[in-house]
Order: sequence, then structure tokens, then C-alpha cells
Amino acid sequence: MIELKNIEKYYANKGVKSYILRHVTTSIKQGEFVSIMGPSGAGKSTLLNILGMLEEPTYGEYHFMGEDVTAMKERQRIELYRNHIGFVFQAYHLIDEMTVAENIEAPLLYKKIPGAERKSRIADILDRFNMVAKKDLFPNQLSGGQQQLVGIARALVAQPSIILADEPTGNLQSAQAEQIMDLFKKLNQEENITILQVTHSEKNAQYGNRILTIEDGVIKEDVTVK
Amino acid sequence: MFKLNLKIALRNLWRNIGITSINVGGLAVALAAFMLLMMYFTYETSFDKKNPNFDNIYIVGRTFPDFKTNYTPPPFGKAIKENFSEVVAVGKMKKGGFELAVSSHTSTVFTKQQLFVEYEAAKMFNIIPEGGLKKPNGNEFLYYLSKPYMQTLFPNKKDTKPEMVSIGSRSAEQFGEVRGSIVPDSHSNISFDAVSIVNEIGTGESYGHPNYFTYIQVKPGTDIASLELKINNLYHSELTKNGMVDEGEDVTETNAFLDPLKNQHLKPKAGSDANYKVLIALSVLGFLILVIACINFTNLSIAQAAKRAKEVGVKKVMGAYRFQLTIQFLIEILMQCLVATVLGLIIAEIVLPKFNSLFLVHLSIWNKENGLIWQLPVILLFITLIAGIYPAMVLSGFKPAAVLKGNFQTSRQSYWLRNSLLVVQFSIAVIFITGLLIINSQLKYMRTQDVGFNPEQVVYVKNLVYYTKPEVFAPVREKIMKIPGVKAVTVANAIPDGSGMGGNGYTVEGKQHSLSFLDVDYDYFETLNIKLKEGRAFSTSFQADAVNSAILNEAAVAKYGIQNPIGKTIRGCNIDYTIVGVINDLKAEGFEKAVEPTIYAINNPCGNPKTEIMVKVDEQRMAEVLAILKSQWSDINKRDGDNFRYHFLDELYGKLFAKQEQLQSVFFAAALLTIFIAILGLFAFAKYITNGRIKEIAVRKILGANDLQIFKLINTSFFVMVMIANLISWPLAYILTKKWLETFAYRIEIPILPFVLSALITIMLTIITVTIQANRAVRANPVDALKYE
Ligand SMILES: Nc1ncnc2c1ncn2[C@@H]1O[C@H](COP(=O)(O)OP(=O)(O)O)[C@@H](O)[C@H]1O
Ligand SMILES: [Mg+2]
Repeated sequence: MIELKNIEKYYANKGVKSYILRHVTTSIKQGEFVSIMGPSGAGKSTLLNILGMLEEPTYGEYHFMGEDVTAMKERQRIELYRNHIGFVFQAYHLIDEMTVAENIEAPLLYKKIPGAERKSRIADILDRFNMVAKKDLFPNQLSGGQQQLVGIARALVAQPSIILADEPTGNLQSAQAEQIMDLFKKLNQEENITILQVTHSEKNAQYGNRILTIEDGVIKEDVTVK
Repeated sequence: MFKLNLKIALRNLWRNIGITSINVGGLAVALAAFMLLMMYFTYETSFDKKNPNFDNIYIVGRTFPDFKTNYTPPPFGKAIKENFSEVVAVGKMKKGGFELAVSSHTSTVFTKQQLFVEYEAAKMFNIIPEGGLKKPNGNEFLYYLSKPYMQTLFPNKKDTKPEMVSIGSRSAEQFGEVRGSIVPDSHSNISFDAVSIVNEIGTGESYGHPNYFTYIQVKPGTDIASLELKINNLYHSELTKNGMVDEGEDVTETNAFLDPLKNQHLKPKAGSDANYKVLIALSVLGFLILVIACINFTNLSIAQAAKRAKEVGVKKVMGAYRFQLTIQFLIEILMQCLVATVLGLIIAEIVLPKFNSLFLVHLSIWNKENGLIWQLPVILLFITLIAGIYPAMVLSGFKPAAVLKGNFQTSRQSYWLRNSLLVVQFSIAVIFITGLLIINSQLKYMRTQDVGFNPEQVVYVKNLVYYTKPEVFAPVREKIMKIPGVKAVTVANAIPDGSGMGGNGYTVEGKQHSLSFLDVDYDYFETLNIKLKEGRAFSTSFQADAVNSAILNEAAVAKYGIQNPIGKTIRGCNIDYTIVGVINDLKAEGFEKAVEPTIYAINNPCGNPKTEIMVKVDEQRMAEVLAILKSQWSDINKRDGDNFRYHFLDELYGKLFAKQEQLQSVFFAAALLTIFIAILGLFAFAKYITNGRIKEIAVRKILGANDLQIFKLINTSFFVMVMIANLISWPLAYILTKKWLETFAYRIEIPILPFVLSALITIMLTIITVTIQANRAVRANPVDALKYE
């Protein structure tokens, strides 16, 4: 599903290039659950942003579902956002002025899904996440764990083939974190959704089936979890 | 999606209700001002526009070496009609010269603008009496009065039959027939309160009687330049043919021109385009106010951008196109502008009566003709784009990778932009304040300067009888002087209220110059309290005064450069006048024009008849004197004594200042408005800036900074911006006010004080506004501010 070949990323500052990523080459198959680990500042978020096409690599090739991302037009990329990629953020990034239900509905609007189907999808997902009672609350009326659940629901409702999550449990207590990780695992196993998460926690990394370790912009380890 | 975006927008606006109301309120006030000025602009530029032949009607005027006039001799129009087939109609008009009493058995009205109109001209200008326009038979005069007059004269009239009225003084026993009433179009160049429709006017008159307005209507598509040339040639040949050209005189010294109807109201060739300039200035002003309000909007929307950045980032990763977000933000701003427009309409409606009385118009918002119906949507769209396009582009342009990282700061670039916008706002405010202060100084100067005469306690009595010969006026004076409290009485052919005087050539010591002349009677200088510089005033004890004595003003003496003028001879109108006195110049025409070199004489065969009676009254006894004059007037002024009507001369003279006072009011309103809007913007902006620095302030407080140091810290950048604004606007204000002052012959030097004052005012207001905002941040407990990280 994802092919990276020799990805490089650097920022040039006063003629000095500071490399964030060097020679990153890897591939991720449909249905994998990959955890990216590494010290702070290693380049994990940058890699995830490149995978999510939010940043462009300085060099290298990136194919997403067989298509060359670097040659892609803006419109095609936006189509991928609408239909294939879901994002989950450490800071949840729910829209404060929207209720829970509205936040979840938002991506469906951009996908131009008709009203009736939107309603049923939202109802389904609220039901599944046990949040029906909370649907009319605003984000600041929810706990962090609940907010992240809404964030994941929002990513899922568009039925993506891959979820990119940058430290999704970074702001959560361990009980809440566990709930999120169980959910990811279930989505991965039951719905065959590819999941890529950045995490600092060894324990969370164990939920997936593969761990990429990055240090100073280079992939140091690539191990499969038993 | 639209519904959801709408909800977000409303929730957002509601959450920032303070800033929202400042934004919308400021815009509403500016829009109100703009709408009023635009209605005024539409009104002023659309005189006669309803006329279907608007674009094809021209007035024929004439150019002399040093002036232009629209007065034309009557045969000329006829000749034009006969010679040029592209001229489809020619219509002449003539103004009646003076106020005329028109009486029924029960009451009297005074027509102030009697107009004689040819049937052709009435058709051209849609001058249609109630009951329709009828063609007069032969030499018939069809006389109509404006509706209110008709109602006063014949309150119970139901039918449409003609009525007999007496015209002029009843004792003169002149009668006429009123055919009915007419409602004059107040939005036409042709204004009147009584009109006589005639087949042809000026029939017996030649090229030596240029007292008529000649309007022509041409075929659509006529080449006006070539027609004008042909008409001018015709004019020259007619002058020659009719013996109007003296030996050795060049016929091409005077020329005929065509001036389109559409220019008549604002910028006629024969006349001043001052109104046009004022209108343009007002439009610029209205536009500036609107721009300032839009700048506020832009500024605050960008200032709030950080709050919406996350929304943009998230929506983009959900698959929103940039244009969808741009449109979303534009619609949000459109909504606010819509509310502002509605509020603006309400405000405009509230201040409209004041505006109307200031500009002497009768505008109404609910009048289809004012063009607001189509202008409003255009304005709405325009301000939405001006105020919204930049913030919408900035907001929708955020890169999700950048904004979703947290810790997002709007860029330095927009910080510069915001500051410069603020500077622009303050610059405009400073220009208005400085302008207002300088206008005030000039007006104060005009009010306090010695104008050379004293119009106070002088009663100007209306009269139609000619008192050109002093012996005819003597009994009138005698009777008036008997009234206790009357100090002096005189009659002249003009009053000092800015109405111009006649002119003629006069020779002194072989030098000929053109002088204005004013024909006066005894006690003229005493009545108006005009000071003599040399010599004496006219007096009955000198027999020659009624024959060939003259008094010059200083300007006339200076023009000839005469040394020791008293006793010298000045020749004009075939009379050798002896100069018996020299008076100080009097600013009878206000401060804009330089005092005309003028000769005052009792006997002037070339002059106009003396009809203007002036009475100087003791201040304490004014009411008594007026009462006695009223009761005795028919006895005093036997031939025109039915109605005693008067004005106070100081009020008439004061009207010369009205235009400047109007300008002062406009500037006062504009200065207040721009400051108000700029301060609103500053208030919200300062709030935003201090909010952004709450953490910094907290840290500094913990590090030991005191309150004063923090106030200074926050105020510094604003102080700098206001100073820059002042520096930018001073030269601009200087140039603009200098240009304005140059329209006065008598004016002040530009003072320094207004510049200093406007700097002080803006700085004070800024510091107060910013400090109020900073106060909240300073009062806050630093620990609270730092807790949320
Ligand atoms: N716009 C930028 N310009 C320069 N350096 C940057 C920029 N964005 C990120 N970096 C640097 O790139 C490095 C990697 O960042 P990041 O991928 O966020 O690390 P991680 O997520 O592994 O903690 C950091 O050292 C950071 O300072
Ligand atoms: Mg990171």
C-alpha cells in the first residue's frame, strides 16, 4: 500500500542543511499495524506527515496505492484524504465550535455523502463508541479520552483504508490509552484497516504487528511483533 | 455543509461577541455615513435625469473675454432653429427679477422665482401644470402658481376654473388670471414658484437684450462639437448683420457655446464648479470612512486567525478544498456585513433629518429614485470583498502540517500588515482632526475679523419702488426717521450680502480701469457704520453730492495709484465726479473674493435703480421700531406699502458663511466618525494583542516588573504607530488645508497648534484605550496565566 524509496528531508538554514530524515526506505502493506518509535526530535512526526502528504519530502519516491505521490495534483491528494486517509492527533484537534455529532459529520460533508446515510453512519459510530448520550456536547465538555474517541470516530466515519495517528495517547492516562489501543487493534483485525501510529510507549507499540525505530532520521530497527 | 458552517460561524461570532459587535457596529456606522453621502451624490448628479431628452438638451451660452454667461438675446434662439435641422426644438426662458406679491381677496403670497417659459421649453422640460400643458393662443400668458401658493390664496377652491388675482401692490391695480396650480419638480434645474407659459418671449427684443436662457434639443447622435462651431459662426454673422459690432471691434471677441443639461447643476461652463468639487470631496470622504471600517474588519479578522487555524487544518485533512474554506470565511464576513448594512440603514434613517437640514435637501431612504436598491447589494458585495478577501485567503491558506503541530503563531508578515493598516486608519483620523481644527480657526477668524461695516441692527426692507433720485426718497426717509429708535435710513441699488455689483470703466488722471459701482443715497455709510479713511461722507449740505460727488474705497484708490485722492476727478458714464472721500474696504462679498475696487455715488445714470432700503435701529428698540414700521408702512411707502417685509442684514450677510459652516459640520462628523471607528478597532486589536501576551506579562511580573513597566511595554508599539500616523498625515493635512485656505482671499496663516493638538488627541486616546485593555492582563494573577500550558 505504501512504498517509500530513499526518502530524504532537510531544512536549509543559512546554507546549512539540517537533515530530519535520511535514506528512509520501507514499505507498508494493507492491513498492517505499524508503530513508529524513537526519541524526541528523531523525525517520527515528519515521517508521518510525509506519509500523510502534509509535507513533501526533499528527495525520494513515495507511492501510495501504486500512485506516485510526488507527481500527484492537489485535487488527487484531496481525493485521497476524502476516501482513504484518516488522521488522529495527539491534541485531538476537534473543532471547538462543533458538537460531537457535528465533528463526526464534518468529513462526510466533504465526501458529499447524502444526509440520510450521514445520519445512519453517525448513529452507528456513536453507538459503537458508546457516545450516544454525548452527541450534543461540545469538545470542552468531554474528558481527554472521550475527545480522542471522537477524534478516532471522526477519522473512521469516512471509512478510510489507513489511519495515521501521531501519539494518539500522548495526552491520556493509561486506562484511557489502553481503551484507544484496543480499539485500534480491533479496527485493524476486524476491518483490515491499516494503522500507522507514532508512540513513545513500548506497551502501546506491542498492540501492533510491526515496530519501526527511528533515530536521527534513520530507520534503526524494523521488527515484527509476535 | 452550508448549515453546519453557518452554525460554526454563529457560534464563533457569539463566543467573540465583544469583538464581533465592535466590528459590525463600526462598519454599520461607516456604512450609514457612506449611504447618506451616496444618496446625496445620486441626488446631486441626477437633476433632470428623468427627462427623456436629458442627453439631448443643451443650453446656449456666450463667452466674453473675461467671463461666461448663459444669458442670450432672444433672436438668437430663433435663428438657431431656422438654420440647423439637427436642432429639433428651441425653447427660451426668462426669470422674473424680483419678489412679487400676488393677492386674492383673502390672502397674499410672494412669488420669489417667477419664470416666463416658452411653450416649446415647457414641453422640453416637462413643465406640466395640473390638468395638462395647454398651448397658449397668440400672445396669451398662461399663468400658474405653485400648489401651496394656490392653496393659500384659494383654500376652498375645488374646480379648475381660472381665478383673478392682483399682482404687485394692490394700489397699483394690476390684475391677472391664474390658470391653475403646478407642482414644480424640485429635482430639476428649472426651478420656479410661479410660471407663465407663452408662445414666444422677447418678441420685440434684439441682440442688445441678452436676458434670456436659450435651451435647444438636438437629434440623438448629433455631433455637438461641429454644431457648436456652426452655432458660433451663426452668432458672429447675426451680430454683424444686426449692427451689433462697432467699428474696429472684433466680432470673435464673444463666442457662443453649448453646455449640456447634465452639467448645469454641478459644473456649468457659465458658473462655478464649487458644488461639484464639494461633492467629489464628500464622496472621497464617505469612501475613506468606509475603507477605515473595512480595514478594521480585515485587521480584526486576521487578528483572530490563530483561533480558526486549527479548524482550517482539520478540515483540510478531511479533504476540504481551499476554495471551500475561502468561501466559508467570505460567507461569514458577508453575514456580518449584512447585519452591518441593516444596522447602517437604521442609523442612516435616524440621522437623515439632520443630514437633510444640513445639506438643504429632502432625501429619503425609502425612495426608489435614490438608487439604493441596486447600490446596496453592490456595496455589500464590495465591502465583503474588501474586508474579507485578505483574511479569507490568509485563513484558508494555512498549511495543516504547520497549524496542527500546536503552538501555532500567525506569521510576522500579517503582523506587519496589521500594523500598517492601523497606521493608515490613524493617519486618516489625524487628517480629519487637523482639517477640522484649521477650518475652525479660519471660521473663527472670519467671525472676529473687522469686515469694514456693521450689518447688525440693520433692517433691510423689501421694496419695488425706484428711489433712484434722492429727492424722491427724502420724504420716505423723513417719515422713517420720525420713528423713535431709528438711527439712520438709506437706499441703495444693492445690499452687502454677497450680491454682485455692476461694473463700468472709469478714468483718473488719464488711466482707465474697470470699477464696480454702487449707487447709494445719503446716510449710506452711517447706516452701515462704514469708516472713512479720508475726506467726508455724502451730505445734503453739499449740493454737488447729488450730482457728481464720488467716494472710492481703498482698493479703487490703490488700483489707480492716486496720491491725495480728495478733490481729484474721476470720469465715468459721461460724468466728471469729484472724489470727496475714501472709505475702508468692506468685505461685502465675504472672505473668498478680494474686495472689488468700487466707486460709490448718488448720481449714476449708468447704474441700476435704487430699491434696497436699509434702516439702522437702536438695539434696545428693535421690536418697537419693527412694529411701527409695519403699521405705518403703507403710509411711508405709498406705492408699494401693502406688505411690510424685512430681513435682518446680519442674517443675510451670515449666509455667505453658510457653506463654510456646512463644511465645518461635515468635517466635525467625519473626524468624530473616523476617530470612533479607529478607536473601536484599536480597542479590539489591543485586546487581542494583550491576550496574546498574557503569558509574557505573567512571566515578567514574576521576574519583578512593576505595573507601570508593563503598561509601558504594551503601549510602546501602539505609541510608535500613532506617531508614524501623525508624521505621515501632517504633510498631507498641511497640503489639503493650504489648498482649502487658498480659496479665501482673506485667510489665516496655517497654525501649528492643530498639528500638535491632533497628535496629542490621538496619542491620548490610544494610550487610554490600550491601557484599559492592558489593565486586565496586568491585574490577572500570574499563576493563573501560567497554569494552562
Ligand atoms: N519547519 C522546520 N524547520 C526546521 N526544523 C524543523 C522544522 N520542523 C521540524 N523541524 C525539526 O525536525 C526535527 C524532527 O522533528 P519531528 O519530526 O517533529 O520529531 P519527533 O516527532 O520525532 O519528535 C526536530 O529536530 C525539529 O526541530
Ligand atoms: Mg512528534
